[in-house]
Amino acid sequence: MRHYLVCQFLALCTPFILTAQQNVTVNGVIYDEFGMPLPGATVIEVGTVNGVSTDFDGNYSIEVLVGATLEYSYVGYQAQTKLADSANPINISLIPANELEEVVVVAFGTQSKQSIVGSVAVISESDIQAQPATTITQAIQGSVPGINVVNTGGIPGTNPTIRIRGVGSINASAAPLIIVDGAPFNGNLNSIAQEQVASISVLKDASSTSLYGSRGANGVIIVTTKSGTKATPTRISFSTVYGNSNMATPMHDLLEIDDYTRFFWEAYRNNELYVNQLSAVQAGVAASSNLVSALAYNPYGIDQPVDNQGNLSSAAIWNTDWKDAILNNNAYKVQNGISISGGSEKTNFYLGSNYIKEEGQVKTTYFERFATRLNIDTQVNDYIKSGLNLSYTTSKQNAPNQSGTSYSNSIQWIYTIPSYYPLYRRNVDGLIVNDPNGNPEFDYGNNNSQIVNGVRPALSNENGLGAIMNNEILKTRTYTSMNGYLKIDLLPELNFKSNVFYERATLDDFRYTHHKFGAASSVGGRVSQDRDYFTTLNAIQTLNYSNTLGAHTINADAIFESYRFEQNLLAAQGTGYLPNVRVLNGSTVPESVGGAVNEERILSAITRLSYNYDNTYFAEVSFRRDGSTKFSKDTRWGNFYSFGGSWILSNESFIDEIAWIDYLKFKFSYGELGNNRNIGFFPYLQVFDTGYNQLDNTGVISSEFVDPNLTWEKTALQNFGTEFTLFEGKLQGGIEYYSKESIDLIYDKPLALSTGNESIKTNVGAIKNYGIEFSFNSIVLKNDDLTVDLGINFSFDRNEITDLTQDEFINGTKKWKVGKSLYEFFIRESAGVDPTDGYQMWYKDVLTEDGEETGERTTTKDYSEATRYYLDKSSLPKMIGGFNANVSYKNFDLSALINFSFGSYVYDGVYASLMNGFESPGRNGHPDLKKRWQNPGDQTDVPLFLNGQNDFNATSSRFLFKNNYIRVRGLNLGYTFDEIWMEKYQIQGLRVFLQGDNLFTYQSHKGIDPEQAISGMTNYRSHQMKTISLGINVQL
Amino acid sequence: MNKRHLAFLVISLVFLTGCEKGYLDDPKPTESVNASVVFESQDGVEAFMSGILRETRGQFTRTDSGGLYSMYFARVVKGNDLVLGYQWYLFDYENDNREPTYTRTTFSWEFPYYLINQINQLIKGVKNSNSLSDLEKDEFLGQAYAMRGFYYFQLAMEFQHTYSYDLSLPAPPIYNEPAIEGKAMSTLGELYDFILADLNAAVETAPASRINKSYINQNVAYAILARVHQVMGNWQEAANAASIARQGYPLNPVQYGLGFDDMNASEWIWAMPQRDDQTNYFYIAPHAFTDNINDGYGLAFWNKEFVSLFTPTDVRNTFIDLYNVGDSDLYYARASSKFTFDFSSDIPIIRSPEMLLIEIEANARLGKESEAANMLLALQQNRDPDAVASGNTGDALIEEILVERRKELYGEMGVEWFDAKRLRRGITRTGNHRVGSAANLLPDDKKFFLKIPQKEIDANDLIDDSVNTDR
Repeated sequence: MRHYLVCQFLALCTPFILTAQQNVTVNGVIYDEFGMPLPGATVIEVGTVNGVSTDFDGNYSIEVLVGATLEYSYVGYQAQTKLADSANPINISLIPANELEEVVVVAFGTQSKQSIVGSVAVISESDIQAQPATTITQAIQGSVPGINVVNTGGIPGTNPTIRIRGVGSINASAAPLIIVDGAPFNGNLNSIAQEQVASISVLKDASSTSLYGSRGANGVIIVTTKSGTKATPTRISFSTVYGNSNMATPMHDLLEIDDYTRFFWEAYRNNELYVNQLSAVQAGVAASSNLVSALAYNPYGIDQPVDNQGNLSSAAIWNTDWKDAILNNNAYKVQNGISISGGSEKTNFYLGSNYIKEEGQVKTTYFERFATRLNIDTQVNDYIKSGLNLSYTTSKQNAPNQSGTSYSNSIQWIYTIPSYYPLYRRNVDGLIVNDPNGNPEFDYGNNNSQIVNGVRPALSNENGLGAIMNNEILKTRTYTSMNGYLKIDLLPELNFKSNVFYERATLDDFRYTHHKFGAASSVGGRVSQDRDYFTTLNAIQTLNYSNTLGAHTINADAIFESYRFEQNLLAAQGTGYLPNVRVLNGSTVPESVGGAVNEERILSAITRLSYNYDNTYFAEVSFRRDGSTKFSKDTRWGNFYSFGGSWILSNESFIDEIAWIDYLKFKFSYGELGNNRNIGFFPYLQVFDTGYNQLDNTGVISSEFVDPNLTWEKTALQNFGTEFTLFEGKLQGGIEYYSKESIDLIYDKPLALSTGNESIKTNVGAIKNYGIEFSFNSIVLKNDDLTVDLGINFSFDRNEITDLTQDEFINGTKKWKVGKSLYEFFIRESAGVDPTDGYQMWYKDVLTEDGEETGERTTTKDYSEATRYYLDKSSLPKMIGGFNANVSYKNFDLSALINFSFGSYVYDGVYASLMNGFESPGRNGHPDLKKRWQNPGDQTDVPLFLNGQNDFNATSSRFLFKNNYIRVRGLNLGYTFDEIWMEKYQIQGLRVFLQGDNLFTYQSHKGIDPEQAISGMTNYRSHQMKTISLGINVQL
Repeated sequence: MNKRHLAFLVISLVFLTGCEKGYLDDPKPTESVNASVVFESQDGVEAFMSGILRETRGQFTRTDSGGLYSMYFARVVKGNDLVLGYQWYLFDYENDNREPTYTRTTFSWEFPYYLINQINQLIKGVKNSNSLSDLEKDEFLGQAYAMRGFYYFQLAMEFQHTYSYDLSLPAPPIYNEPAIEGKAMSTLGELYDFILADLNAAVETAPASRINKSYINQNVAYAILARVHQVMGNWQEAANAASIARQGYPLNPVQYGLGFDDMNASEWIWAMPQRDDQTNYFYIAPHAFTDNINDGYGLAFWNKEFVSLFTPTDVRNTFIDLYNVGDSDLYYARASSKFTFDFSSDIPIIRSPEMLLIEIEANARLGKESEAANMLLALQQNRDPDAVASGNTGDALIEEILVERRKELYGEMGVEWFDAKRLRRGITRTGNHRVGSAANLLPDDKKFFLKIPQKEIDANDLIDDSVNTDR
């Protein structure tokens, strides 16, 4: 026994004993191909696990055995070996490996870039870190061609809408599948800290996504988190960023109070004059005497603020600036991060922790997150490897409504309530009414006891500022995941990997509505709270065989995957609270309680076979069979497949002679994939929904009609592309053409309302997306002091309906018809304003007596008679893309990312509502109203004001605007301190930087954030923020 | 362990896990039940019936288009007796809310059809049930036919001229069973035939007892039938049906002044109940819109000319000068406390005095004037102990009955609109209205009905744009 212990001890000490005896120290600098120092490059003593990496200036120092061989390597560069020599520094210039050796994260593993036959775009760590965003997917915007990223609304922590290569689905989800560290991610993406992400791969075509076949039809985004490097010293890195934000783009202008009052008078007068046929004098008198009673408030303090001629005769006592009251013009953003990473000879780890708090455009809005991640990999023995990624995130998002038409939506409030209405309660004489403590109270516009300054005609029983100050909408999320694997090398060519992923996301959605003011005041306040659990369990078993025999390389996978997702919902609501009590226990009347458990499962068997000959000819085939619980037993299994190939021409002798071609590759792929996402849990079952109780009796209601044979939506994708490097590495790029056709779309087909159903979910029709993508990168300049690196990418994407089971559907502002885009507007066309009476006109078709079109058009003032037309205007952009620049000069570095979108149209319903022309009292207006028609003969495109029901601002081309924009999304200027400084404070690296987000925006239609919904409809959304921050990054 | 053994182990593991039986069959819906649960027991059908009644009073589209109550209140504000402030129902008040794309138009079409489809499913399921007894089936079918007749009657009223105008005019399509494909327009004649057939079947088998007043019993079926006959001018049938309908629902003047928020009032025949935990919040009409004191929208007032019809001793005189305007003609001069708003206020659908008045009117029109006059006086004296006989006969008696209907039913079911439409009279705005003559309706005015919604035309192969030509 003692002998054994001694042996153990000796075994443990051996490495130390050895190094203590015969070590030498080798120093040197590692440079890149341009002679610039390469920080983070690796030096390893061959045959051991002894290794170091270079510092910020490319310096390294390593103790090795005399006579050892050193291997110098860096990602993307060809490794070199040298004999250790302590006498002289060994300075190495690494040469970029054919960039093709670069390893890219793909479905169920990694591949070298050159072997990829599909379409995969990678956003590297450095690209991601150049623009620290709150949600990781923002990094994709403008970085990769063919991807439309739209940030709707300005609530921090909100995830953007992402569409890869067009919109391939209508009612099923058109969003890409998100994979984090190999497993499908069902949490909220805002729970991943960008700082902890190593790379993001975007898989666009069939061959790259087909292994996710059942859910890959809309593309796949693979997020890989950071890991440590084996045999490197442990490093600690701190970063902190502090920034200040305000709106990135201005909101629409609004009418001044006096204009509002006078214009309302005019609208009232016009209604009496033109509609009710009073004389001009009578109409003016009527308008003057009824103005205050119509508007219900009187900021002017005299009975008739506007005289019979429409002149204002006094100054307003109050003039509410709702924008200023509600918006936060001085929002802040703070982010602190710490990470520790490193590795011993067998184990490497990464531990990161990140805190962020960001305020939004509307007061009280913030997103706060604390994210921690620990990734460990270990080589258990010579044939078993294992690893575990753990993450825990908790976040809070206080987000008062800032989109939609709820009364409490702050943005709608600003656009709806004129400055004519007071912020604080006023008595009939216009004086502020204080509460018993002597403080002013918000005016909720529901004071029935006062006929003047009591009840607001619009949005009564609410106050725009009161809603955000008195109420609370707080979302608290926690996210935990465990992702472990065990990999066993069964044979040198055969390995087995088992991967188990468990994820639990919880959402606590808490809403408090004030006990004394607003919507719940009559019941003493309301608390509603949901607490939902989302649990995913995913298990993947992979058997991989790979072998090279001469010039033949074969790689085969057999994969078995089971996926289980469960949502467990609980909701409670109660009313009747004492002041300051905001928990359900304090409720007097329990209003409702609810809960449900739903589960979805998928079972999949997958094979992939790839082959290459001499690293020049590549072929790949894959097949996947999936069963989903979302479909009936008879229709639940779907077969998906893909195949593809590529040819590296530059490896052929006949290209070798062309000096300016360094690398040239052609590739193609084809495949058919599926989609079952976002269609509910059991969309094929006609059921009776519970919850419709009538007093004490249980009640059920029949669900809408269903199609019991509903099955997978399928998408056929094809991709042709080329990749090249030209002019001795100066220019790199790629061009790809894609076409993807989704058939058997899962769609809520509209039914005649008289059937009692609005729609039926069924497999109907087909749509096609096709386009061409370009990306170019060039190192324009590179010398000792100055490097200029530019990149541009853009794509032209088209969307077309290729099959429908009926002639056409009308879907809101769009009509779907074969040959047209899903997103082409089909609305009435404005024919301007009739100069004789100031009425809005629209076009309508002239029909023969048999109802046939004659091809001629005439105008009409009857909106319902007007014909709807295709206007050749789509809400999808014709071209999207991005431009990036990286410039470094001595210690300074500058990176900029610009993204742009051209050719889309937006229907600005918000502007339309501001142009309502005082149809009903108490609603705000836009200064463009000043151009209204006033007298017969006036030539204008703004109709007369009319305080009576009219369709002047009804949906028409009048409010359809071109929505081009260019946005400087990220601008980062940094300064890296010299070694001298760092040595003084014993730190490895120090960089300070200035970061600007959304610094400049050019937009063709002003007053909105140019990023609106894919459908091109505005919806009273808050704007994104422009943030200027100062940051520092220290490495120890 | 030998690596090759290990290989066999894991490979067999991979394929074994794949064979896990029933992995995809386990998950089942948890928030719903299937048809067999609903139609194979009395409790199940009763639950479906309850669900339909709950939807009757639901929040279908938005504040002014929530349920049956908002169809009623949109009719109320079209008349001359209520003066609407600036609030919801604004354009109904202006009699200018009937275009194919408007919410009112879509709602008044979609809502009845939504319920008709549910009722059709109930009828089909009950008929095909193997577990229900014939008696149970008949009772459920009686309730269902009454509701279906009721909603087709609403559609007939909202989407075409009245019965006596022209029976060949196109009317809303008829579905007597669930259907996915839209049907063509019917004619007004066919539609009334269908309604009568449903209601005649309903009165045969609707049960005598019920769970509470929101459910259908024989009285409710007869009450609906009485209204239909009243519109059709079948006076004897109207009188018979109204007379049966009000059996067991005696007048009680004391309850008139209690806020119209409790369906247990003896006069209420059919009602939409609410409870704190089953409320429609601020949607419910008329309460949330006419109660100027409690925390609803308020802002509905009453025409001073209408108010002047009431004697001070009439229990129905609920009018007050809330804003102390005295004799002024400001539109908000008179408020009413008839309806008390609360999240748990019940809403009346049909009350017995309306049935009594149908009977009175029928008698008057059938030549039984003295009987009519006596019954009318009895009602008047029930409401006002000081009431005396008017001595009216002939047209004057008919007019007195119509005024009595307004006085009795104001705010509830749109009595002015209902009478003006069926009798092919107009509505003339007088007194202190906020929107006066501009909102007048002429006799047989097209504004008495709505256009066909664009959404129906867009999705129904058998109805095209021409349906709205000259509408």
